[in-house]
Amino acid sequence: MENIIKSLEEKFNISEVIKKSDNLNILTVDKKLAMSLIIYLKEIEKFSHLVMLSAVDWLEDGKFQLSYILNNPEKKIDLIIRVFISREKPEMESIHKIWVHAATDQRELKEMYGIEFPESPRLNDDFLLEGWDNIPPMRRDFDTLKYSEETFFPRPGRQTYETKEYMKEKMYPDEKNSKNKKGLKDA
Amino acid sequence: MLKFEQDRSKFPEEKDGKLEIDLDSQKFIKIWQGPNHPGITGNMALELTVSGDEVVESKTHVGYLHRGFEKLMERRKFIQCFPICIRMCVPEPDINEYCLAASVEDLAGIEVPDMAKWLRTLVLEMARLVILLRGVPGQGGTMSLGMGVQWGVYVRDLMIDRFEELTGGRVYHMYIAPGGVRGLLPEGFKGRMEEVLKKIDEFVVDIDNLMFSNAVFKKRTKGIGVIKPEWIEQYSVVGPNARAAGINRDVRKDYPYLMYDKLDFESYVGKDSDIYTRSRVRWHDLQTSVDMIRQIMAKMPNKGDIRAKTPNVLHWKIPKGETYQRLESSRGEYGFYMVTDGSAYPRRINLRGPSYNSAVLLLEKMLVNANISDVSSMMVSLATCPPEIER
Amino acid sequence: MSLKDVLLPFLAWGKVFKNPVTIKDPFNDRPGSARYRGFHKNDIEACIGCGACEEICQNAAIDMVPVKGIETKDGDSGLRPMVDYGRCCWCALCVDVCSTNSLNLSNEYTWVENDPDKFRYIPGVDKKDWDNNELGWKKPENYDLNEPFRIQMEELKPEKRDSSFIEFVKGYSKEQAEAEADRCIDCGLCTATCPAHMAIPEYIKAIRNDDLEEGLRIMYETNPLPEICGRICTHKCETVCAMGHKGDALSIRWLKRYIADQIPESKYKDILNQGNDISPKSKKIAIIGSGPAGLSAAYYLTNLGYKTKIFEALPEAGGMMRYGIPEYRLPYDQIDKDVKYILSLGVEIEYNIKIGKDISLEELGKEYDAVFAGTGLHLGRSTRIPGAEHENVYFATDLLREISLGNDIHVGNKIVVIGGGNVAMDITRSLVRLQNQKNIKVDVTATSLESEDIMPADREEIDESREEKAIIDPGWGPKEIEIKDGKIKGLRTIKCLSVFDDEGRFNPKFDEKDKKFFEADMVVESIGQGMDLTYISEDIKTMVKFSDRGRIIVNKDFQSSLDWFFVGGDIIEGPDVIHGIANGHKAAKGIDKFLNK
Repeated sequence: MENIIKSLEEKFNISEVIKKSDNLNILTVDKKLAMSLIIYLKEIEKFSHLVMLSAVDWLEDGKFQLSYILNNPEKKIDLIIRVFISREKPEMESIHKIWVHAATDQRELKEMYGIEFPESPRLNDDFLLEGWDNIPPMRRDFDTLKYSEETFFPRPGRQTYETKEYMKEKMYPDEKNSKNKKGLKDA
Repeated sequence: MLKFEQDRSKFPEEKDGKLEIDLDSQKFIKIWQGPNHPGITGNMALELTVSGDEVVESKTHVGYLHRGFEKLMERRKFIQCFPICIRMCVPEPDINEYCLAASVEDLAGIEVPDMAKWLRTLVLEMARLVILLRGVPGQGGTMSLGMGVQWGVYVRDLMIDRFEELTGGRVYHMYIAPGGVRGLLPEGFKGRMEEVLKKIDEFVVDIDNLMFSNAVFKKRTKGIGVIKPEWIEQYSVVGPNARAAGINRDVRKDYPYLMYDKLDFESYVGKDSDIYTRSRVRWHDLQTSVDMIRQIMAKMPNKGDIRAKTPNVLHWKIPKGETYQRLESSRGEYGFYMVTDGSAYPRRINLRGPSYNSAVLLLEKMLVNANISDVSSMMVSLATCPPEIER
Repeated sequence: MSLKDVLLPFLAWGKVFKNPVTIKDPFNDRPGSARYRGFHKNDIEACIGCGACEEICQNAAIDMVPVKGIETKDGDSGLRPMVDYGRCCWCALCVDVCSTNSLNLSNEYTWVENDPDKFRYIPGVDKKDWDNNELGWKKPENYDLNEPFRIQMEELKPEKRDSSFIEFVKGYSKEQAEAEADRCIDCGLCTATCPAHMAIPEYIKAIRNDDLEEGLRIMYETNPLPEICGRICTHKCETVCAMGHKGDALSIRWLKRYIADQIPESKYKDILNQGNDISPKSKKIAIIGSGPAGLSAAYYLTNLGYKTKIFEALPEAGGMMRYGIPEYRLPYDQIDKDVKYILSLGVEIEYNIKIGKDISLEELGKEYDAVFAGTGLHLGRSTRIPGAEHENVYFATDLLREISLGNDIHVGNKIVVIGGGNVAMDITRSLVRLQNQKNIKVDVTATSLESEDIMPADREEIDESREEKAIIDPGWGPKEIEIKDGKIKGLRTIKCLSVFDDEGRFNPKFDEKDKKFFEADMVVESIGQGMDLTYISEDIKTMVKFSDRGRIIVNKDFQSSLDWFFVGGDIIEGPDVIHGIANGHKAAKGIDKFLNK
């Protein structure tokens, strides 16, 4: 496994290698060389099984991360190839000619994140959502709580009390501290 | 083995690799099979373009079960994720729990105690039984052999009773949590389990007689629904579908997890990858599961810790990282891809089930030139589970 | 297609004669299993309303609501969980996380109702049929979603610590503090019980996030003496901590000490950022006594913009904190650290000046716009048994003061201490150390009226005294000190059967026949503390109202009936540092209100 990665590092200008375990490594590669890396891995190194094509939204960095998870069934090793693309105009080359089923993944990513894969078959057909007219929902700036409160009507009649504030009102209402800190949520 | 090739005039013409279908020409009819249809497992629609009774083109429409779980899990802490990730694959829910727990433990660097690993293995095998006991006779159910399904549902109910005793729930068990499991075996469990396994043994003989030695079943399944060898790589076919085509892929043997390296089992590899072989592969899986449960109960220790020490789950922060954890479900390789960013909430959880490939594009390919009456049985033979396509 | 394939399926006909397997009456014949996750039930007496179930519920199905008939008090917020079955998924995480194991699930699974709003109910308050079901999901044994037991702090061993006055409790390291802070579930019950209402969950969260400067800021909002309280506070918060029901209470006091220990005094000014943007006011306030009440009042008044001056009778600041608590529990340099910061904000202080002697209270009243007195309880109280007038019978408070002033005291060879509180333990352990230092064989015995289970001293103090080889022999009432040839021979005692009567009043009962004689050549009395109010002249005494027991009556701003005279601290609330700090804060606000009327 290390030999494979060393040869890849030289040929394809891999920017980062993380070794998770003996049979799982994570490589970060530039967008321009990603396609050739994937074809090289499939044809020469026999990573013939594409497990999934997934995307992660790094809103604070302004990037999308595409993750190609490849698997070599004979040697039983996995590689996760990470490609960062810009969030303003997200698009990436399609791999549907290499693996036919990647067309489904790409269709879902177009619908959920808005990432374009030119020439991928049936890219603009609705996959999971019908008649959606908001921003692509898996993006981090889409607030599901706000959307559901505006669209649906929750059953009224619920009110919650916070322990610290309630005890303060009941037990020592005259004293006012200089700052009123509400109950915490780690995030 | 397609017998209706005499009159080619009823087929559409091909242009640039696409079929030209003129619906006004009265040669073709569009039929929607689904989403609410007895010939569909779950909720999925097949839009079939039919000429006579032969399918010319098909499209799979999903989206009736989209609940947005992956987005919901980004707003929940890690311990709060497991009650919802369960609902992503409805017939076999424990695989979701295990994948989530394994990803969280891998990223947080927690080692689960041995007793918890044995219990997890037991529960995963019981879950495999629960789905196969109804799924394999269901193959006959698509051809109106409903008797096997009814017997299967009864034996499945007995197994679900054992789940209820062990975990507290019948269909959604919520038993495997990040850190360990949530309870030891109750008193007398092993005895009651052995009774159920005996009933399953009788059931196996019954179905062998009823379905697998049935002339009508054989005629309707042999040679139909063939997966060609070149499709396996193009469509990334895994699990029983691949084993029926001659390629031995089994995550339990290739990437051993939990206690599978201590158990003794063989996979069945077939040759003609038609519907009959796929049913036989899954039938063999069922009998292997029964044997494995007996082995697990014999080899399991009597007591031990069921949970590793974790930080306070109300504010458990996991360092930044990514991982991919897989397991072998009854349908093939099932995996979670999880990304964390150092906060108390996951950044991205992406689930990949085998039906994502096999029920959408592979089925569309396989259904071309198939008879309408075989559509349902082809779909069931690929072990389609729509909830995992759309989560 | 062989003949077998045609005939074998007909074997299915054999099932025609079998009995059907359907259950005829599922509601009665098929109860849920013993571990089934059914409907909620709650023991509302045991529930403390901490809200952990609300926080962990993944679908926001639980609300904490007030319930009629359950009052809010120390350790119980008065709120109880209300479950909404439109959202609950029966995952039982709320049962696993419950601090008192009061919330449980029964194994009932059918409920038919005409009114859908009834499916939001308060288990335990709205009576249901399944409230008495024994079966149902329970939290498994030894299964905890957070660590129930406390991380222990290192201490010096008894052999190393019993001959010197250095601090023997070492303090938390970073990993220990973060592990201990991780146990908190942010319920907030502690804040209501703390007399100063410190924002405890917030500064524990600051430790978890490794943001100690924020923690320091949070502490200083309500308590300007964190190093001191971090060592000797009576930690009433820990008695109501929700984790105490499951295992050990969170060590809130030590975590407070951890934050203050990590930051050097030179950085306080930058972090706390005080004294910069406060508009100075023209009024001046005099503060009598530099104990916790006085220092706290000075700090908060300075932050409001007033000029303050502290008058202290003893050579150094600190009051009973320095002169009543031995150094091994509260080192002097830590007192100095806290005091130095308060003084650096512009508070003036004058030592060795006694009000009533060097300057009178009326003069202070004329020169200053308001006066705050926090003079404390520095006098001892006597048992008044025959023989108590001998010169080798001492008060514990006097001896502790002399030790803190650095003076040599008489240390006998066999010492008996009368008393069972923390002060008695303090003087016992100090005398053990002095005996070790003077190479006298350790022989100190402490005896008290209360038997061991109701001794008012902290458990750790009693245990650690015994480790240092003092003898604690509780349950004896002092009768007489035997004196022969001008020297003390010992203390005669009789067995004390009970201390408080049925109504809770102090009414000890003795058994005259059960006697015990403690040999001694020095006796120390430590049965209580008294206040010295001689600085209040006769004229002022007529204007100030006193209670029947001699305490000054104050309103809730700690203002006495003489409107410029404010009183607080031990003389109002009894001996307790944190009450003194809280009183000083409230009095500062009261003075501000009074001067701006």
